[in-house]
Amino acid sequence: MKSGDWVGTALRSLAEHDREREAPEEVEPRLVAAFRRRRARRKTKTVVLATLGVAAAITLFLARPQPKPKQVVPMPVREQPIAVAAAPAPMPMPVQEVTPQARQVKRQPREVVTQFFPLLDVAPPFERGELLRVTVPASTMRSVGLPVNEDHLTDRVYADVLVGQEGLARAIRFVSYEQ
Amino acid sequence: MILTDAALLEQALRGAEDAFTALYRRRQGGVYRFALQMTGSTAIAEDVTQEAFLALLLHGTRYDEARGTVASFLYGIARNLVMRRLDRRPGADVEITEECAGPEDLLEDLTRRESIEQVRQAVLSLPPVFREVIVLCDLQDSSYEDAAAALNCPIGTVRSRLSRGRAMLARKLRGVAMV
Repeated sequence: MKSGDWVGTALRSLAEHDREREAPEEVEPRLVAAFRRRRARRKTKTVVLATLGVAAAITLFLARPQPKPKQVVPMPVREQPIAVAAAPAPMPMPVQEVTPQARQVKRQPREVVTQFFPLLDVAPPFERGELLRVTVPASTMRSVGLPVNEDHLTDRVYADVLVGQEGLARAIRFVSYEQ
Repeated sequence: MILTDAALLEQALRGAEDAFTALYRRRQGGVYRFALQMTGSTAIAEDVTQEAFLALLLHGTRYDEARGTVASFLYGIARNLVMRRLDRRPGADVEITEECAGPEDLLEDLTRRESIEQVRQAVLSLPPVFREVIVLCDLQDSSYEDAAAALNCPIGTVRSRLSRGRAMLARKLRGVAMV
């Protein structure tokens, strides 16, 4: 008999002898307990991260600069001598018809947005989310590859942050207004 | 429907306890026997099995299906744990180097428990790099591909170590058969 044959037979005998050997029964409950502890820790971690994310988003939202009410600047009044002569009759002015829509367009500046830039390299599947309008320094635009003039890095710009169901900021886009 | 190991692992990593338990029950025997046949110690085999599955929970996201099966990934973890323990107890391996003829006598005795234990001792006396391929390929029925993935080496290395390991084992068993 070749040596390979009988060595193989010897090994098969050992393998057959050991075939039913398994880890002791007490290992499984220990592992299941460890599994549950780990799952509980992960849940806590997720809740904490989500809470922090929401808190950060709310803070950003509240910290955005509020549109300042237009200040009424009193016009300097020049004292003029009261005219004695009677004022001439007003000239009839041509009246332009302005539709309500046209008035609306005139009042609201047009919103221009960039594409969304992802903020997470690897994100869990997106199920639902919320879009939050915040202001960020213009330098943020540079961090996603958009050109920003050196002089305007600290300027505040509007941005929409997409916050996922787990509270993580997933993507950002920048907003500007055109008159 | 029977889920694959990879599907069970994915679900377990998402927190599904049933999937983790199913994967453990399916693979614990192989991991336990691998550690037992590598070390000859039931206590170490128990520890290694438990630690291997804990490590799977912690590092399971590193598993890449393209690089091998979940079983080979687990064997790879168990192998590292075994090697650490073997390093801690140098000299535990007993060399049986007498070379004698008479394998036929051994074959007659293979049915006896004593001979099985002699084969086990001969396997345990192999240097670890040869022992692990013998244990994986001959005792655990792993394919060369799976063994290569578990040991993180090329298939050619598995083949050559297996050949040399079997030759060394044949020499050792000849010696035992004559004692």
